[in-house]
Amino acid sequence: MSEAPFRYSPGDVVRVRTGPPEPHCRTPFYLRGQIGVIAGIAGRYRDPSLMAFHKPGLPERALYRVEFRHHDIWQTEAGPDRIMADLYEHWLDPATRETPDAP
Amino acid sequence: MQTNERGVNDVGGLPGGPVNREEHPETLFEKRVDALVMLLTHPQIGAFKVDALRRAVEMNSPGDYTTLGYYPKWIRAIRRLLVEQSVLSDAEIDARIGKLRERLAKDV
Repeated sequence: MSEAPFRYSPGDVVRVRTGPPEPHCRTPFYLRGQIGVIAGIAGRYRDPSLMAFHKPGLPERALYRVEFRHHDIWQTEAGPDRIMADLYEHWLDPATRETPDAP
Repeated sequence: MQTNERGVNDVGGLPGGPVNREEHPETLFEKRVDALVMLLTHPQIGAFKVDALRRAVEMNSPGDYTTLGYYPKWIRAIRRLLVEQSVLSDAEIDARIGKLRERLAKDV
C-alpha cells in the first residue's frame, strides 16, 4: 500500500483546528485555532488516539513540528520566542498569516 | 466524552502557581509501580500501550487528577487497564487486596 504524500512542507502556514477533540486527544487546548508555521516533518506514527483504546492505531498519521509565536498565543509583547509543538495532519488547515515575523 | 473542552490534564496556559522543584528519594511503592508499567508495556507482554496508560490517567476526575500523586494515578490506571483487557477482574483484585489487608492486620 503506497502512503499518501505529506500535505504540508516546511514554511507552510497552518491553522490548528478548534476540534472536535478525539476521546484521547494530543492537540493541546491552548493551540487550537492558532496560526503557526510548519518547521519540519516529524514522520508517520501510529495514531495515539486509537492506541489509547487498545487498537493498532493504523493507518499511520503524518506528524509535523509546528512553530508558533509566543506573543500570538499569550498576547504578550512581540518578541523572538517561539513555541514548538508536534501536531498531526488532521488537526491542521492551510492558512495565511497577516503580520510578518518579528525581527 | 470531551467536547471542545480541555481535558483534566491539558493545563497549558492556566495559572498554576509556583512549581515545587524539590526532589525526593523514590519510595519502594513508586519503584514497584514504575516496574509494573515497564513490565506490562514490554512488547513481549503487551498488556497495554503507554498511550492507554495516559488515557486511563486522564480519566480521573479533575479533583483526583490534581490531588493524587503521580504514581497513585498510575496504579489506578493499571488496575483499570488490566480489567479492560481481561487480565484480571475487579473481583480478583479486591479479593487479593482483602487477603493482603488481613495479613497486614495480623503482622501489626
